[in-house]
Amino acid sequence: MSSQTLNKIPLISLVGPPNSGKTTLFNYLSGKKFKTVNYPGSTVEYSISKILSKHAVNADILDSPGIISLIPSSPDEQLSVNTLYSHPKFGKPDIVAVTVDVSQLSRHLYLVKQLLESNFKVVVVLTMTDVLYKKGFDISENKLSSILNCKVVRVNGKTGKGIDSLLTVLKESLNEIEKDSAASLIKADKHHKTKLLESYSEIEKIEKEVLFETDQKSTNGKIDIQKINESIVVLNSAPKFLKADETSLKIDKFILHKFWGLIIFFLIMALTFTSIFWLAAPLMDLVNDGFSFLSENAFTLLGEGLIADLIANGLISGLGSVLVFLPQILILFLILGLLEDSGYLARGAMLIDKPLSKIGLNGKSFVPLLSGFACAIPAMMATRTITNKRERFLTIFIIPLMSCSARLPVYALLIAFLIPQETPWIGGLLLAAIYVFSITSSIIIAAIVNKFSNRLVKEKDNTSFILELPAYRMPKPMRVIQETIKNGKQYVVKAGPVILFLSLLIWILTTFPNYDPVVPVSPDVSPEQTEILKSNERMSTSYAAYLGKFIEPVMAPLGLDWRVGVSLIATFAAREVFVSSMALIFKITEEGDDMQNSILNSMREAKIGDSDQKLFTTATTAGLIVFFVFALQCLSTVAIAKKETGSWRIPVLQVVVFTALAYVFAFVTVNGLRAFGVN
Amino acid sequence: MKTASDLKIGEKAIIKDIDNSHFSSHRILEIGFTPGQEIQLVSSPLFNDPIALMIRGSIIAIRKSDARCIII
Ligand SMILES: Nc1nc2c(ncn2[C@@H]2O[C@H](COP(=O)(O)OP(=O)(O)OP(=O)(O)O)[C@@H](O)[C@H]2O)c(=O)[nH]1
Ligand SMILES: [Mg+2]
Repeated sequence: MSSQTLNKIPLISLVGPPNSGKTTLFNYLSGKKFKTVNYPGSTVEYSISKILSKHAVNADILDSPGIISLIPSSPDEQLSVNTLYSHPKFGKPDIVAVTVDVSQLSRHLYLVKQLLESNFKVVVVLTMTDVLYKKGFDISENKLSSILNCKVVRVNGKTGKGIDSLLTVLKESLNEIEKDSAASLIKADKHHKTKLLESYSEIEKIEKEVLFETDQKSTNGKIDIQKINESIVVLNSAPKFLKADETSLKIDKFILHKFWGLIIFFLIMALTFTSIFWLAAPLMDLVNDGFSFLSENAFTLLGEGLIADLIANGLISGLGSVLVFLPQILILFLILGLLEDSGYLARGAMLIDKPLSKIGLNGKSFVPLLSGFACAIPAMMATRTITNKRERFLTIFIIPLMSCSARLPVYALLIAFLIPQETPWIGGLLLAAIYVFSITSSIIIAAIVNKFSNRLVKEKDNTSFILELPAYRMPKPMRVIQETIKNGKQYVVKAGPVILFLSLLIWILTTFPNYDPVVPVSPDVSPEQTEILKSNERMSTSYAAYLGKFIEPVMAPLGLDWRVGVSLIATFAAREVFVSSMALIFKITEEGDDMQNSILNSMREAKIGDSDQKLFTTATTAGLIVFFVFALQCLSTVAIAKKETGSWRIPVLQVVVFTALAYVFAFVTVNGLRAFGVN
Repeated sequence: MKTASDLKIGEKAIIKDIDNSHFSSHRILEIGFTPGQEIQLVSSPLFNDPIALMIRGSIIAIRKSDARCIII
């Protein structure tokens, strides 16, 4: 009996080739909702959970990144293999449940054989039997079980059918360990070619034994003749049972077409980013109206005064300004989710591999870079599938330049200034233009850094690109919606508390110490004007104004004042805070006769200091946008870059380079535009 | 010596050997490109690189520089 089974609950590790359905299975067993994606390499970190108590199996289950063999060739595979042999916290797994995609049986049995040879206690889980069935075949799990001499279960990942039998088998196996003396593990070493070929020829024999044609297709005479012809052609080789998915081959005729392939690629990318704006617009209006209504009622309910001011101007507009952008973020995740499920991502990676390799990246950088448009943190982790260290680090380096979803609200707000109110469709184009600009800049920066990349990290030039193209699948609406809601929640939960706190802080800083300033009263000044004079006086003698004096010299070259500076500082807590903090500062400092002035209007009217010069002009707004394109204002990103690269080198370089670029380019934009007469 | 990188679209071939000296050769063997197996070039998009090969009922995208170690 192995020592760890004595004192702690058993551990079942899910392993298997990439995209074989491990995470799907994990979710069924643990009740968790981890992301499943139709792309080989979607899981890059292990996760562990107790099996749901309703399943009555007292064990932990561990999901891991996909591996092709026990000899890892990338960081994500390394992680899986390490957890297999000995996890630092959980020890060695008591049972290894290997997922085998039966529609690719021979390729997936290779890992099973390796695991069995290394003495793991293996349970084979057959997935994607529905796909196999569509190809006109079925599999005998009894035969497979007796040949391999281990337990075999069939599970349908779409319907959950077979989970019960899997649980029964797991229970049986757990009972067996108690009796068995644990055989010691054998470390797999790099198979010699002859050994590997032996394994594969055994596998081919197994495949012949366990796969059989279903009636469904064998009644179809045409296919039979075709099969006979084929087996004549490949007489000397193993009989080729399984053909690739016909539908996928047909779709790929277009998607991977010489000429259309790239056009479709760009169309898909362009549609993804522009629809964020178009689809979200009506929803945003709805949220906006809702919060204006709330803010209005706060005043009527609480009357004018300190508390009403805090609630209406501070909290409600702070939160509202962030929630306004929730629809855009939901739509972004919805579209990314649809792309993930369809199987297109692997094709995208393939199409863009050649251009990316020119600037020192890899086709496998595509998925991390794309998820960088949602958030840099999972994106940096996703680079673990990249084999070559230099390509991986370079990908990590430029990920912060992808416009993450936290920047979306900022751009949306700033774009709203640049475009006439009656033509919102221009906003979509402008947003697309910002994305194109940020992508172009990151390409240039990657190309430049690539020239020095040997100083960034030393690595052999053994770059390669080998990626399985999974069969296309109809996206599962439920999964996509769940994932979207999860991400929406995260956005609110992450930004919410920070915004509340900062709203409060900024409100205090801008309101005190001189809450009720004395202003000269004269008969020809109306009460409203007195109010305005008062609030101006309150502002200019506030703590914030005092602090602002320090920021002013830095902001002035960009044509901005301390109020934007305070907001920019706030963004280091989270980028999306920019919007709420702007909303707050400008509502308080610029409030005119209309209490319910929208944030946009108060910003439109904002002036620099006491002058008549407008603060937000085309030039300064464009400058701010450029600033946000480059600036790395996210502490979590810095932390994850340190963790993934294993040193401070890259994150420090990122902060220095990107902040400098942000400032310099913003300066050039503002003053360049002004030089051309654009104010 | 002809390799998988010389295939034309739609063309099929039987793998003769895998060139051991290539750094990707081990991975290529592991994923099922073994001598005797039939491969087919199913698509080669713009730039003709990477190419998509059908092997054992799966489709694998692979750079030409990697495919060069698959001797046909
Ligand atoms: N048709 C069908 N699809 C399945 C089945 N099981 C899983 N899938 C789908 O296959 C894809 C991959 O599933 P995952 O569970 O993410 O696979 P994984 O093994 O965790 O993949 P990696 O994390 O990339 O190694 C997803 O799109 C699933 O929805 C199944 O039995 N039948
Ligand atoms: Mg997974």
